[in-house]
Amino acid sequence: MAVDIRLASTCVRLKPESIDELTNLVTPGDVITSDTGFMRGHGTFMEDGKHHASVAGVVQRVNKLICVKPLKTRYNGEVGDIVVGRIIEVGMKRWKVDTHSKLDSVLMLSSVNLPGGELRRRSEEDEKLMRYYLKEGDLISAEVQSVFNDGSLSLHTRSLKYGKLGQGSLYLVSPSLIKRRKTHFHNLPCGVTVILGNNGYVWVCPTEGEVSEQTGGYEQNFEPVVRADREVVARIGNCVQSLADHRMMLFDTSILYTYEASLKFPVKDMMKPEVKTEVIDLARQRLERDGT
Amino acid sequence: MRETPLSNCERDFIKTAIAEKKRIDGRQAYDYRHVRVSFGVERGCCMVNIGDTRVMAQVSCQVVEPKQARPADGTLYINVELSPMACPSFEPGRLSDFGVEINRLLERCLKESRCIDTESLCIVAGEKVWEIRVDVHVINHDGNLVDGCSIAAIAAIAHFRRPDITVSGDEITIHPASERDPVPLSVHHMPICVSFAFFEQGKYLLVDPTDKEEKVMDGRMIIGMNKHREICTLQITGQMLLLKDQVLRCSNIAVVKVTEITELIHKALENDREERAKGGKYGFAESVPKNKVTSNHKVSAPVDMETVEDHVTSTFSQNDDVIEIDSDAASTSESDDSVVIMDKGSGAIGLGGPSTWNVDDEMSELKEENKSNTTKTKQQKSDTNIVVSIDDSSEEETTEILVEPSIQKQKKKKGKV
Repeated sequence: MAVDIRLASTCVRLKPESIDELTNLVTPGDVITSDTGFMRGHGTFMEDGKHHASVAGVVQRVNKLICVKPLKTRYNGEVGDIVVGRIIEVGMKRWKVDTHSKLDSVLMLSSVNLPGGELRRRSEEDEKLMRYYLKEGDLISAEVQSVFNDGSLSLHTRSLKYGKLGQGSLYLVSPSLIKRRKTHFHNLPCGVTVILGNNGYVWVCPTEGEVSEQTGGYEQNFEPVVRADREVVARIGNCVQSLADHRMMLFDTSILYTYEASLKFPVKDMMKPEVKTEVIDLARQRLERDGT
Repeated sequence: MRETPLSNCERDFIKTAIAEKKRIDGRQAYDYRHVRVSFGVERGCCMVNIGDTRVMAQVSCQVVEPKQARPADGTLYINVELSPMACPSFEPGRLSDFGVEINRLLERCLKESRCIDTESLCIVAGEKVWEIRVDVHVINHDGNLVDGCSIAAIAAIAHFRRPDITVSGDEITIHPASERDPVPLSVHHMPICVSFAFFEQGKYLLVDPTDKEEKVMDGRMIIGMNKHREICTLQITGQMLLLKDQVLRCSNIAVVKVTEITELIHKALENDREERAKGGKYGFAESVPKNKVTSNHKVSAPVDMETVEDHVTSTFSQNDDVIEIDSDAASTSESDDSVVIMDKGSGAIGLGGPSTWNVDDEMSELKEENKSNTTKTKQQKSDTNIVVSIDDSSEEETTEILVEPSIQKQKKKKGKV
């Protein structure tokens, strides 16, 4: 068994990268401004005519609206977001899904594609067979259809790219690190598919061949995955975790650059602190060079 | 707030491990985690640690009117608080179902078994009696809260002293602690709850489940018993059916556990009593071991090391001293055991064996090659162990590794780095 020994004195501390962000950092209770002309947004409250922050984060100002974007938070859903979630309960005509938000999200029976892909009214039979489609513990990818009054999300999987997830790895990162993009499903050239859920759940799996149109997103491929594919999945997963540890934004380019920078190290060494720092530094330099 | 649910892989892993008689923290099926009972400065304050689960109980007393039905009996009131500090799924305020279950169990275990003599709590029959109140707070939840709460409650009750009273005619004087020494409660016996977790419809059973094991279990049985082999309470929850011989077997296991834990509580009470009698310092601050670098206290690893010994004695038969501990006994012949200094301030022992995952055909050929190479690099035997300090530029941090002398060659190389 391999044992690593490190002296605490040589441990490198992460340095904050962008200095201008630091001037806008607030902690709960800090006064943001005494000007009463501003409207208060998320993460702020008014006291004695002054705006205070209620969360620890970065102050953002849009015209007359002041809000504080928290650094560490549960996922707050918006309509149209892609999420990766785990089924917790099977209930009456709905499934309860865990998406790392403050309340459980809901997936209605009428919002899923039935296996076989037919379009028909949902009957009693369908309700009884719900557990055969999705049961507790299954992972799904879905889109947020609407947000209820109390903030809980209603999901749907009414497209063939959503549905039950098969063989792959799930990584949990903070939702604030996922960059909002036009698409969150990326097929990387190294042969893996990455789904960056807006809720911080990142799914990495080997790229499937042709997706069959008739199955409606429920057929799962249980053939054993070859070792080479599994290594690539593990490497991409380690890249995602390294980026999250260094608080860098996660998007397809940053993951790809980190992957290419990590190729000279064996997969199992990637989680060592010094290797992580080196790989992330290389990726960061490349990203800055490209101007993103 | 809901916790992140356990993934299917983790569930399957824990269940498969239990089917092979292995627990993820290395314990045996009937082993408890390390139980620690400590008392505070105030009388009646007790903190119990079962592994990472922490529960604190505080006993207080008050003079009240007795119940109509029992005018000559004092009352015992138990209150369990599950704070969100213990687990994010505990909500503050109203007690959840789980909290009500623990509360009810403790009440049955302590009140209905008559562990305290309530008649001795009577001051004036029909008018004034003592009400003993036990507040149990859960500080950290890592599984098996019921056991923790019951040990904390009964230990706190045994530790508590109530003020002394004198009744002269119609006048009752309650003496403060400064005038007269407080009087202990009369505890008849110490009922302690032992939890059993069942898997696969009662086929496998574990004592003292951790948080992860609780999430995966089918059902649970709680036996409240005292050391005189009297069962005070029995409860089965969850989705499972048990046979009667399983219940009997569990009660036999519970006897052993309860005896051990009662011993532990008595010892802790003794220690506390001695400290207080001597005039020494007592309380939580004193019971915490000091974390000094030079105080060499290491909790022994609970992982099974038995299989390693055979390997060590066979290959190092000439050498008397045990050299190193290598937990992968099966394929250790390949790995190199001396310390390799990688960089300034970091080193590595061993390069790891071959992967024990899905071994493909091409991998097995590589394994043969490796085996033949590394058998030549077996380290030389010598007579003594050498303690080597690896210093870096700063004097504060030094790492001491007990290694074999082949490290000396490596150390000389390091001087050039």
